[in-house]
Amino acid sequence: MSAPGKLRDLMLRITIDGTRYEVEEGLTLLQALDELGVLMKGVDIPHYCWHPKLSVDGSCRMCQVEVEGIPKLQIACDTPVREGMVVHTRNERVLKARAGVMELMLVNHPLDCPICDQAGECKLQDYAFEYGQMHTRTREPRRALKKRVDLGATIVFDQERCILCRRCVRFCREIPGTSELAITQRGDRSTVETFPGKPLENDYSMNVADICPVGALTTRDFRFKVRVWFLEEVPGICTGCSRGCNVHVGVADDQVRRYTPRRNDDVNDTWLCDSGRMTYQEIGAPDRIREAALRGDSGELIGATIDQAIDRAARLVREAVEKEGPGVVAALASGHATNEDLAALRGLLAALGSETHGLPIVTGAGDALLVRPEKAANAEGARAAGFGEPGLLLDKIRGGGVRVLIVLGHDIIHEQFLGSPEPLAALDAVILLDTHRSRLEQVADVVIPARHLAEKGGTVTNFEGRIQAVPAALEPAFEAVAEAHVLARIASALDLSIDDGSEHEREAD
Amino acid sequence: MGHRVPHVTHYLTEHFADDGYTTLSGFRARGGYETARRVLVEQSPDDVIGTLKRAGLKGRGGAGFDAGTKWSFMPRDGAGPSYLVCNADESEPGSFKDRVLMERGPHQLIEGILIPAFATGAATTFLYIRGEYAEPARILQRAIDDATAAGVLGSNVLGTGFAHQIVLVRGAGAYICGEETGLLESLEGKKGQPRRKPPFPAERGAFGRPTTVNNVETFCHVPHIFARGVDWFRSIGTEESPGTTLFGVSGHVERPGLYELPLGTRLDEIIFEHAGGVRAGRKLKAAIPGGVSMPVLPAGHLDVPMANEFLREHGSSLGTGGVIVMDETTCMVRVGCVISEFFRDESCGQCTQCREGTGWMHKLLLRIERGSGTEADLDVLEDVAGKMEGATICAFADAAAWPVQALLRHFRSEFQGHVHAQKCPLPESFEI
Repeated sequence: MSAPGKLRDLMLRITIDGTRYEVEEGLTLLQALDELGVLMKGVDIPHYCWHPKLSVDGSCRMCQVEVEGIPKLQIACDTPVREGMVVHTRNERVLKARAGVMELMLVNHPLDCPICDQAGECKLQDYAFEYGQMHTRTREPRRALKKRVDLGATIVFDQERCILCRRCVRFCREIPGTSELAITQRGDRSTVETFPGKPLENDYSMNVADICPVGALTTRDFRFKVRVWFLEEVPGICTGCSRGCNVHVGVADDQVRRYTPRRNDDVNDTWLCDSGRMTYQEIGAPDRIREAALRGDSGELIGATIDQAIDRAARLVREAVEKEGPGVVAALASGHATNEDLAALRGLLAALGSETHGLPIVTGAGDALLVRPEKAANAEGARAAGFGEPGLLLDKIRGGGVRVLIVLGHDIIHEQFLGSPEPLAALDAVILLDTHRSRLEQVADVVIPARHLAEKGGTVTNFEGRIQAVPAALEPAFEAVAEAHVLARIASALDLSIDDGSEHEREAD
Repeated sequence: MGHRVPHVTHYLTEHFADDGYTTLSGFRARGGYETARRVLVEQSPDDVIGTLKRAGLKGRGGAGFDAGTKWSFMPRDGAGPSYLVCNADESEPGSFKDRVLMERGPHQLIEGILIPAFATGAATTFLYIRGEYAEPARILQRAIDDATAAGVLGSNVLGTGFAHQIVLVRGAGAYICGEETGLLESLEGKKGQPRRKPPFPAERGAFGRPTTVNNVETFCHVPHIFARGVDWFRSIGTEESPGTTLFGVSGHVERPGLYELPLGTRLDEIIFEHAGGVRAGRKLKAAIPGGVSMPVLPAGHLDVPMANEFLREHGSSLGTGGVIVMDETTCMVRVGCVISEFFRDESCGQCTQCREGTGWMHKLLLRIERGSGTEADLDVLEDVAGKMEGATICAFADAAAWPVQALLRHFRSEFQGHVHAQKCPLPESFEI
C-alpha cells in the first residue's frame, strides 16, 4: 500500500497459474497475494496456520504449491517471492498434496459438524469440501480428549476439534503479548493449554475464537446461540471507543448476536478488544429507552408518542426564545452521535441563533494496541463539528443563563462531569434524545428514544480523523428515531430549515 | 568398566580400556591436547577448515554431511558471538556410541571441540546432552572443570590466547531435540521443536547467533586428523566416506556391543565376524544398518559395505551406525509396530503429516499385527507413509516413513500373511 508519490519498493514479476503479477520484494507468496487482494479471491491457496497478522508457522502444510525449478512442493506461507518465479497452485500434484493433508488433518478430527458451533464458517469444512475426498479411509478410533475446557472466562476449548495450527498461541504471544496459551504434549497428543492458575485473561482474548479456523475455540458469549447461516453480517463500527474498529454486525431475528472484527489494516488490522466487542449487548439491552415521554403536570414522566414529544420540544424551545431570546437555548452534543446527527444539532442551533453548546466525552483507560481513552466512537467527529469542552456551558447553566437544554446522550451526568442531574433541575426544560435510560430522565421534560449507530447507520470520525460510513444493520424493536431526524423535525416545527448532514456521507471513505 | 569398552578398537577408542585416559593427566600423558595446541599456534582458521574439507570427514550424527563444509558456512566477520553446539542428545534407538565416547574419552571430545571452535571463531560451545545420560554428563562436567582449571579451556586456551568455554546443558528428554534446530530451541529453554529453514543455523542458530551443530563422534575424529594427517585419515574407510566409525550392534547377535571399524566394512562382516553371528545358531532375517529410522535390509542384502554411497543403492543409509539384527523368529509387522510407536510418541506435533501420519501408521500396523487388517490397509499404510515423505519442516516424518516403507517393500508377504491368517504367524516373537 504505497502512498502516491512515495518511491515504490522494488517490484518483482511473478507468474501464478499463468497470470502475471507485480509484487513487492521481501514478501512471501501468501503475503504478496494478500497485498494484491487476490488471496482466496482469484488465487485459492488454502491455509490454516498462516494468518496475515501473525508470524509464519509453516506447520499445517496446506498451502503447498509447485514452484518451477524446485523439486519439492513449497509452502506458500514461507516461500519468498523471487523475480521471474513461476508458481502452480492448482495442478494435479498440488491438488493431490492438498487432499493428502486434508485426509491427515481429519484422521483425528471428530466429524461432529452437526453439533459444532463453527459449522458454516469452518475452514476444515470448506477445504474438505473443496480439496478433500468424500470417503474416509481410516477405521481407527479417533483421539478422545476433553470436549469442554474453560481456557478463561471468555473462551471454551474443544480439544478434539483442534487442528493445532497454533494461531491462538501465536496471537497471545504476539498481539496482546500475554502468552497465556501454549501447546503441551507431543505428536497427536498435542493440545492447547494454559499454565495452571494462569487462565486466558486479556482484553483481546476473544480474537482467538475469530482466528480459530475450526470449532475448537468458541466464545462463551456466542456459542450455541444461533447457527451462523441464520446470521446476516452487516458492516458496522464498534462504538466502544474513538478507535472505530470495523466490525461485522451479526444479526438474526432482528437482534444483534455478536460483533466480529472486520479487517481494516488502517484501523484495527483484524482485531477487536473484548470490551468493545461486548458493546453489541447495548443494542438490545433492557435499559434502552423504548418510548417517548413527557413531564406531566404531576411531575411524573408520562408515555407519549414521538410526534407528541417533538411537538412539546418545539413548543418549549419557541416559548423560551420568544420570552428571553435565542441565547437561552443551549445544547449538549454527544460523541456517540453520528456526524449527521451532530450536523443537524449544529444546524438547529445556528438557525435559532444560539452559540451555546458543549461536548462531554467520557474518558477511561487506553492501551497500546487498539483501545483509546475516549469512550465514544465519534468524539473526533463531534469536535470537528465545532463542539468543545462543556465547562463554559455548565458555568452558564449554573449562572442561570440557560433556560432550555437539548441533550444528546447522558455522558454529562458521568462523574467526570456533573456526577448527577441535580444542576440541570433548575432549567425550564431539558429535552433528552437518548438511547439508554439514565438518571438524566429525572430532570428531563421531554424524552425521545434515539437509535444506536447499528440501527441508523451514518458516518463517524475516529481519533485519527478517519471518516467511516456504515449502513443500518437492523431496525430497532421499538419506535426510535435518529437524532438528526428528531432535530430536523423540531426545526421544521419551528419553521426553521437546517442542514441534514448529507455532506458528511459524501466525504466518508 | 569393561562392558563399556568397544570389542574392536581403532584410533578413536584405542585407549578406552584404560581408566586413566578419562582423567586430564592420563589424557595428557598420551599426548592429549598437544594437537590442539599445535593447530591453534601454527594454523589459521582457514587452514583448519581447508584441512578438514580435504579430509572429507562426514558428520556422524546421521545425515552424513561434510563437516568441513558445514564449518565453512560460518560467517567470519567477527561481529558478535557465534557458537558451536555439540549434539550429545543421542536418542536414536539402536545407537549408543556417543555415550561411550563421552564416558571413556571426555578429553578427546574436548580436544575435538577446540579445533573447530578456533576455526569458526566460536567463544562458546554448548554441549547439549540428553537428560537421561546422567553418568556421561557427570564425567563430562568433571572433564570440563578439570580442563578449565588447568587452562585447557578458558580465557587463554593452552596458552595460545584463544578463549573458549564449554557449557554443558542437559536436555529434558525428547528424540526431536537431536534434530539440530529442535536442539537449539530446547537449548534456548523452549519446547524442542524444529525450526523452519532457512535461516540455517550458520546464519541464525543459538540465541539468534551463527551456530554450527555437530555430533559427538564427529568432533572426536578431528584431533586424529590433525595429529596424523589427511592422507592417513583418507587411507581408512572408503573414498567418499573416510575414517572409522563406531558401529553399535544390538539385537539377535552373540556379541552385541560397539565396534570401531573403517567405514565401508561390510554389514555381514560386522554381524558374523565381529558380533559373533546370530544368537543360538538361528538364521538371520534382517538388519537395520543405522538406527530405527533407517530402512531395514533383508538377509539377502547384507553384503553391503557400510558407507552411505553403497547403502543408498540398497535404499538405506548409514544413519548413526546402530546396527539392529533380527533373526528368523522376528515378526516384521511387530517390528513395524515398535518402530512406529516410537515415532508416534516422539513426533513434535507441528506438521500435520507427521503428527497425524505417525499415529495413523501405528494404529494401522497394530491392527494388522493383531489380525484384523485387510489388503486395502496395506495400501493405505504405504500411501500414508508416502504422504509423510519430504513434506514437513524437518526430516522426522521421513525418518518415520522410511522404515515402514522398507518393511512393506521387503516383507510384504509377511504383512499379507497376517491379513490372510487373521493373526500373527509368529506369535512367539517378542512382546509388543
